[in-house]
Amino acid sequence: MEDFLIKTKGISKEFSGVRVLNNIDFELKKGEILGLIGENGAGKSTLMKIISGLYFPTEGEIFFEGEKVVINSPFVAKKLGISIIPQEFNLINHLNVYENIFLGNEKRKNKIVLDKKAMRKKTKELMNKLKTVIDPDTVIEGLSVAQKQMVEIAKALSRDSKLLILDEPTTVLTINEIEILFDLMRNLKDHGVSMVYISHKLGEVKEICDEVMILRDGNFVSKANTSKISEKEMAENMVGRVLSEVYPEKVSPDSDLCLEVKDYSVDRVLHNISFDLKKGEILGFAGLVGAGRTELAETIIGIRKKKSGELLINGEKVEIKNPLDAVNNGIGYLPEDRQGTGIITNFDLIKNTTLVSLRNYGKFIINKKKERERTREYVDEFKIRAASLKTKLEFFSGGNQQKVSLAKCLDPQPKIIIFDEPTRGIDVNAKREIYFFINDLVKKGISCIFISSELEEIIGMCNRVAVMKEGSLAGILEGEHINEKEIMYYATGVKGAA
Amino acid sequence: MPEEKSFFKKIDITKLGPLVALAILFVISAFASPYFLQVRNLLNILSQVSFTGMIALGMTFIIISGGIDLSVGSAVAFSGGVMIIALNGLLQVMSEPLALLVGFLVALGVGIGCGALNGLIVTKGRLAPFIATLGTMAIFRSLILFFGNAGNLTVDFRYTMLKDIGRGRTFGVQNTIWVFLILTIILQFVLNKTRYGRYVCAVGSNEKVAKFSSIKVDRVRFMTYVITGATVAFAAFFAAGRMNSISTTQVGDQYELDAIAAVVIGGTPMTGGTGIIWGTVVGAIILGMISNMLNMVGVSPYLHGTVKGIVIIGAVLVQEIGKRSTSKLSN
Amino acid sequence: MKKAFLLVLVVLFVFTAVSLAATYKIGVSIPTADHGWTGGINYWAAKAIEDWEAKRDDIEFFLVASSDPQRQVSDIEDLMVKGIDALVILAHDSAPLTPIVAEVYEAGIYVVSVDRGLLLPVQDVYIAGDNPGLGRVAGQWMAEELGGKGKIVALEGIPCVINTERVEAFEAEIAKYPGIELLDSQPAYWSADTGYEVMSNYLQKYPEIDAVFAQDDDVLIGVLAAYEESGRDDIKTFFGGAGSKIMIKKVMDGDPLVKADVTYPPSMIATGISLAVFGVTGEPLVGFYQQKVPSEVILAAELVTPENAHLYYEPDSVF
Ligand SMILES: Nc1ncnc2c1ncn2[C@@H]1O[C@H](COP(=O)(O)OP(=O)(O)OP(=O)(O)O)[C@@H](O)[C@H]1O
Ligand SMILES: [Mg+2]
Repeated sequence: MEDFLIKTKGISKEFSGVRVLNNIDFELKKGEILGLIGENGAGKSTLMKIISGLYFPTEGEIFFEGEKVVINSPFVAKKLGISIIPQEFNLINHLNVYENIFLGNEKRKNKIVLDKKAMRKKTKELMNKLKTVIDPDTVIEGLSVAQKQMVEIAKALSRDSKLLILDEPTTVLTINEIEILFDLMRNLKDHGVSMVYISHKLGEVKEICDEVMILRDGNFVSKANTSKISEKEMAENMVGRVLSEVYPEKVSPDSDLCLEVKDYSVDRVLHNISFDLKKGEILGFAGLVGAGRTELAETIIGIRKKKSGELLINGEKVEIKNPLDAVNNGIGYLPEDRQGTGIITNFDLIKNTTLVSLRNYGKFIINKKKERERTREYVDEFKIRAASLKTKLEFFSGGNQQKVSLAKCLDPQPKIIIFDEPTRGIDVNAKREIYFFINDLVKKGISCIFISSELEEIIGMCNRVAVMKEGSLAGILEGEHINEKEIMYYATGVKGAA
Repeated sequence: MPEEKSFFKKIDITKLGPLVALAILFVISAFASPYFLQVRNLLNILSQVSFTGMIALGMTFIIISGGIDLSVGSAVAFSGGVMIIALNGLLQVMSEPLALLVGFLVALGVGIGCGALNGLIVTKGRLAPFIATLGTMAIFRSLILFFGNAGNLTVDFRYTMLKDIGRGRTFGVQNTIWVFLILTIILQFVLNKTRYGRYVCAVGSNEKVAKFSSIKVDRVRFMTYVITGATVAFAAFFAAGRMNSISTTQVGDQYELDAIAAVVIGGTPMTGGTGIIWGTVVGAIILGMISNMLNMVGVSPYLHGTVKGIVIIGAVLVQEIGKRSTSKLSN
Repeated sequence: MKKAFLLVLVVLFVFTAVSLAATYKIGVSIPTADHGWTGGINYWAAKAIEDWEAKRDDIEFFLVASSDPQRQVSDIEDLMVKGIDALVILAHDSAPLTPIVAEVYEAGIYVVSVDRGLLLPVQDVYIAGDNPGLGRVAGQWMAEELGGKGKIVALEGIPCVINTERVEAFEAEIAKYPGIELLDSQPAYWSADTGYEVMSNYLQKYPEIDAVFAQDDDVLIGVLAAYEESGRDDIKTFFGGAGSKIMIKKVMDGDPLVKADVTYPPSMIATGISLAVFGVTGEPLVGFYQQKVPSEVILAAELVTPENAHLYYEPDSVF
């Protein structure tokens, strides 16, 4: 008999009568890392929310350290020693880093006065552990998505927990940060902390987890030791069928330039960036966290004010002062920060899908029928899982929200699309479908800028790869130069002009 | 994918809250006073709430977009007062109907101007709406106190057309009620069927997403104040007509509170993002019905505030509880 | 729940019973008690209604107090629903109430307008206090008290017709005495707080004051407080106006500073209600040889002195 830290028996969950988890049993030993995988909407986050007290199960029991427990609030979970890094950021935007990290857990002097000094110090220590430089006094709003993710991780670490749940913590992180995180996880493991790790990056799961549990449509499929199961097998277990080639064959672009960016600069963020994009080309943007890729995209679509630089579309100079100008010039943007800038969580599927393109649905009065039909097309195209077209996005799983965000970006039918982490939180199978979809777009003459922290997909998808470093363009790679080693050389400054 | 198949499942129970409250109040009132059910009394209630009701319609847009307007009451006095000053001048030089028409346009212009000023301060000045409109509330009131010497601005009693329209009826129903109804239909349409209405909700839900989605956030915000300015002008016209005068100290006093209360009772959350125009109408009627019922039963006017307060808090509490139970679902 | 339902039924029953018994319905519309004098109005209106209801059961009264003119218009609209036969109204403000009272009057309802006149002749009876009389009586008494010699400061009310009438009559009276000098006259808005402020300024500004005319007993409270705080003892006499309970008591008790007062009685609303009863029932006034109630009644401004103060003292009144 081994002693389990946590054990569930017959956990089920229904939302307004719809069963999204069915009779799940799982157990976790002390110091064990369990991988949890499954398609978008399979029920991974829901299961973890149940364990961390955010949802209450419709049926089932939970045993913690051998005793039956009723976790009916996050507070109870916290007391038991369960921490969660949620899939969607749960940070208060106008508070600063240390205030967020210690929210509800404040350090106090004599039990009354806040001990800000101690909290700042502890925050610095945590950041050192994560090998990240973030000032404890920065307000969350000013952080990049990757930095926010690091703060979430630090927040979970700040509590001494017995069970740490990580729900897709690496979707926006690059190799460096991921390695740091994994080191930390190994360290925690050595100290007897158990962890549940959710990810769609199966390589990571294989690397860090001892065991992997697979869910499909809310049902338990299998559980295996990670040394005994290949990535391919994991993926096939997830979708329930054999998978084919992941990346489509690359299409060679036209020779015409459709976008030229010349000498773009933004104070302290971007320095003299110039590049061009051919018609039907996929231009990848790689770089470490903080290299300025998202900032560049935001500058191109007119969210950020540029200090210098000009933009040419099809050889003609255009001035883009705001996102509307961008849309009118045929530029689309899929934001990286899904809930912060991408979708409106209290809008339903239809309203989100047509938010940018609403002008195409009537000058003044909205043609609701057309809206509904178009949305349904996207639902079919991307296999978006939702209760109905009128369901608010807050009730969607993370990956399905991402698919809606994608539909919203595509609906105005832009000629140039900037994808910023397009497959963030999307399962392997859906990823593949999205890759093929993008490839179809390119075949139709649409050009794409493809920003991603996953080198693999950049390498698999892009005709050329621009590598950024600290706000500058370090180099543009072509042909056989597009490989992991070369990209990292440029990204870290071993090669190229910075 | 199933889609709005069963009508009843789709209807949000929390949205029916205000209607249920209205129904309960209606039944209680009918029992409490033998006069309550008289058509004349019911019409009275509607006409009495139509002033704050019209403003509350505009206020609904502002609140959905995430703002607030405290200046509406002062703006009623200001636009109504300026209209009467203009009217008294115009009556010397032109026929009464023409003067009245021009006078109305003056009120509309001033009302929209007040709204535009609020909108500008909020969007271009980046001031919190609460502060901005607190300021203009003081400004509008003080200006009209100055113009009117803190007294009444009265239309010469030889001219009765303003009063006749303001107090008059069409097909047996007060003109104010008709106007309230028409404004309701228009604004309900704008909110639910037009692009602008969708944008207002988007801006109120998440300003950043709206901005990234190529919505001109500032313009959308600005327009909510302008719309409210227009509803203020209609309210001012009828308030002036109802009393043939504008009391510069009293007219519009605390209208902002009643308007906000109507919006909130009607199920539009103060946090913005969504809103229900007909809910606001129901909210306004509930408020009016409370006063009317208490009056009919003979409860001291000093206690009206208590009952009103309880209803406001109660209505919002019920909505909150409803929301909590649907968001946690099946718990 | 059952109890509540029963209660509702009882209330309903009582209401129908009352409305069946009554042959005359009289609506009374007054402002809420936002200061002392309107407090008195509320008291006297309720008292008159109580007295009449004790006396006869064929009359039903509906009393509504409104916080502002708009509310008062609404409240009168609501009274109309009840099918009133007579309306006694003390208007918040003349202009805004004129259209609705005109509507009431044109509907054939007997209208008694109290104190604040309307801009159109749309009432059957107008009853009010004597504003010039108030100024005149005050001026006369003060001049005699000072022996025709001394320095006076005055405080005024809200700038309006009523105030002007009072001030002009007062000034005309003391102008007859060349030995009396009016140092200053500033508005105190019939409010004790403003009275306190204005008086404090006067005390700073004028080293020598013999008498103060506050025009209103509420204001006089503030004035006396300011005087007491200043520690001065040169002022010989203070005179308010309207006849509040507090000031009448002072006069009655022989207060050295407040020796007299003049009435502007809030009880006029009670008299107004009585006139409405006579008017609507068609009963002539006792001792009048006419069939109808007089169309205008101006109540005398009565001088209250230690000798007659007990006649004016109403311990239960709020004013
Ligand atoms: N609050 C809720 N109300 C209604 N349905 C919900 C709610 N939360 C989740 N669901 C539904 O439950 C299912 C499982 O969602 P969950 O978030 O657990 O998926 P997931 O496995 O984490 O997916 P992803 O990989 O996309 O994050 C989805 O179909 C989702 O629409
Ligand atoms: Mg998830």
